[in-house]
Amino acid sequence: MLALLGSAGMLVALIGAVLLVTRGIAAARRDAGVNLEGAARLLLAGAVATMAALVLALITDDFSLVYTANHHSTATPFPFDVATAWAALEGSIVLWGLILAGYTWFVFRRYRRAPDRLGAAALAVMGGVALFFFGLMITVANPFETCVQAAQVGCAVSSPWPLIAVDAPANGPGPNPLLQNHFMMAVHPPVLYLGYVGMTVPFAYAIGALALGVPGPEWLRRSHRSTLIAWSFLTLGILLGGWWAYEVLSWGGYWAWDPVENASLMPWLVATAFLHSGIVQQRRGMLQAWNFILVISAFALTILGTFLTRSGTINSVHSFTQSAIGPALLGFLVLVLVGSFALFSTRADLAASSPRMESLVSREGTFLANNLLLSVFAVVVLVGTTYPLILEAFTGTQVGVGEPFFNRITVPLSYLLLLVMGFGPITPWGRADGDLLWRRTRAPALVAMAGGLLTALLVTRIGWVVLSVTLALFVIGTMTGLLFEQARRRSVKTGDALSASLRQVVTGDGAFWSGQLSHCGVALIAIGMAFAANLGTHLEVGMSPGESTVFQGHTITYESPFQQSSTAVTVIGARLTVTDGTRLVAVMEPSFNLFGDQQSAVGTPDVLHTARGDIYVTLRDFPDETMAIRITLDTSPMIWILWLGGLVTVTGGLLAVRARRRERRVAVDRPTVDV
Amino acid sequence: MGQRQFVLFGIAGVVALVMTITVIGLNDNLTYYLYPNEAVRQRADFPDGERFRLAGQVVAGSLSQQGEDLTFDVTDGSATIPVILVNTPPPLFAEEIPVLLEGFWSGDHFQADEALIRHSENYEIPSEGNYEDG
Repeated sequence: MLALLGSAGMLVALIGAVLLVTRGIAAARRDAGVNLEGAARLLLAGAVATMAALVLALITDDFSLVYTANHHSTATPFPFDVATAWAALEGSIVLWGLILAGYTWFVFRRYRRAPDRLGAAALAVMGGVALFFFGLMITVANPFETCVQAAQVGCAVSSPWPLIAVDAPANGPGPNPLLQNHFMMAVHPPVLYLGYVGMTVPFAYAIGALALGVPGPEWLRRSHRSTLIAWSFLTLGILLGGWWAYEVLSWGGYWAWDPVENASLMPWLVATAFLHSGIVQQRRGMLQAWNFILVISAFALTILGTFLTRSGTINSVHSFTQSAIGPALLGFLVLVLVGSFALFSTRADLAASSPRMESLVSREGTFLANNLLLSVFAVVVLVGTTYPLILEAFTGTQVGVGEPFFNRITVPLSYLLLLVMGFGPITPWGRADGDLLWRRTRAPALVAMAGGLLTALLVTRIGWVVLSVTLALFVIGTMTGLLFEQARRRSVKTGDALSASLRQVVTGDGAFWSGQLSHCGVALIAIGMAFAANLGTHLEVGMSPGESTVFQGHTITYESPFQQSSTAVTVIGARLTVTDGTRLVAVMEPSFNLFGDQQSAVGTPDVLHTARGDIYVTLRDFPDETMAIRITLDTSPMIWILWLGGLVTVTGGLLAVRARRRERRVAVDRPTVDV
Repeated sequence: MGQRQFVLFGIAGVVALVMTITVIGLNDNLTYYLYPNEAVRQRADFPDGERFRLAGQVVAGSLSQQGEDLTFDVTDGSATIPVILVNTPPPLFAEEIPVLLEGFWSGDHFQADEALIRHSENYEIPSEGNYEDG
């Protein structure tokens, strides 16, 4: 029944996608009354039905579906039964399709009927992408295959036909244990996908504009806004992934240059570059061709990322799937790249922009530096990530690229980016006046150096940490200085109180100041990373019950091992008490979790959060027969600054979306204060 | 040459330069992954002290503690290499599990200073690959 519903859903969505392509092209060509609503509705309805059928199958324990039989078990509790809908390959493509259909609906709602040729063309492109993903679902990644011969656990033989006589197993093995260890599994992938799939929208507008031969401000405005939305989700998704890896998976860190992590970072870097260079086009009419390249690249990188993570090509902890889906995704990637850049090269005369840059010492110049650095960053990550694949494909040699490679190149690039970030917002457009720049940087630079000096005297002499603090303070300092400079100028002019002026300045250019908030977030991230990476301490100890060890001012006592069992999970761990001399601070319980019938245990650290940073306890092995344990103790000083910075960055992005929407709604030709 | 071509060539030049520098930087930071039979076959390419990663399975009955160090054999079915692990093993290190070791040849044995359990193989749901073909 659910197989039938799901299959019908996929088919309806596919028909909707085909109609959207054909009618979208017609609407874009003929300028007149083709209605796209039916097609957009079909796509959305089909995608929703597909996901609904899959989720229903999981929560009703319908093991007649191969997907349920192999990735679910009766013991899987809420919300992991729902999250299983995207925990494995086929389901993740369903989620992709649903989000894509949602974004397509969003593009349709912005589509203003007949004269909006760009909107129609973009919808046709969205339809084309949807066609690929629903086609993929129906052919090589069908989540609604039925089980015709059950195995003891899971399914042995399957059939793609929904109406065939099924032989459903009584139970399945459940989802990958790593993925049911924390509720974040239900949150992180959808948020990340909202970012990933969101990059389709700017791409659709860019391709639409190129195909129609209508470059200019319109495609850019729409692409820029949709990139902002996708970027905010992508940032949040990466942040949640880092938090999950650190807090739940005991991988001992938030970032490891794992190919799967890199796959999400590359489109983020390129999208970030576009968010900046798009402003240059909006304000000065420059860099249009470059903007086309960035938007196409960001989309292509999301497809590359999907290929890397979903084809099992790269052997990493994330690649829990192996499938014939790889060639299809690779083919689509090649099609996107070749098609887009062929279109771009034939229309490059339209895409090229005329105005020349007046001076490199200008806002444009800092944006250019920002784009250069971000692009180089992205290329470095791209080469580092794909080089092992290419080498293996051509020579058969298996190699890995170590973290030192990425760190050696990207750390200096990041410091340069911070430096540019400090200067960018305070540098005027056109040609910057040296005196003005000096006036605006003098005080922030002094504050930053004082902060750096204090860090060196009071905290650490490690250069990277001191440099991070100095540059981050410089970034925050210059923008704060600019805010007060403008508010004071306004106060003098209007006679308002400074606080009222501050509010007026911020709301008057909401998009700009939202961006500055994101910059603040990035500055905080830089501080958090530098502290966590350079000032952590590590200790490994063996303990018997009753024994204590002193670690970072805390006395940690091993009380006893413990074991808890429920139908879904068996937890075996050690109970430790943490005191600061006399007072009990916390009880910590690092453990191993064993899920359902699956034999492999998932190590789960326990983390004590304090204002100075985290104390992180990992169990090295099950308690032995004498109840003795081995644990590792780590500190991550000030790591909360990193999470805070991430949230601030995301908030800035979301506020910028809102500010731009309000700008459009107000639609007044507000004279912009040129800073 | 128009401004547009100039810009495009500039971009291509910068990209090429960055790629070259990156690949040069890469070659110093590559770690080779070898299975025991490859490690034995390519013994000459990896003299003592030359680091690489060895992937295989811990042989049953071979694990023993030698003072601070742990010794065991690693096999891929066709070749077996004795290993000395001079660092703490990862959680749940045991016999008959797939491991990834980083270290170097030292005479007739492999000296590892880092060991990882290859989770990706553990967590693969066994029936998953089968039904794709079915």
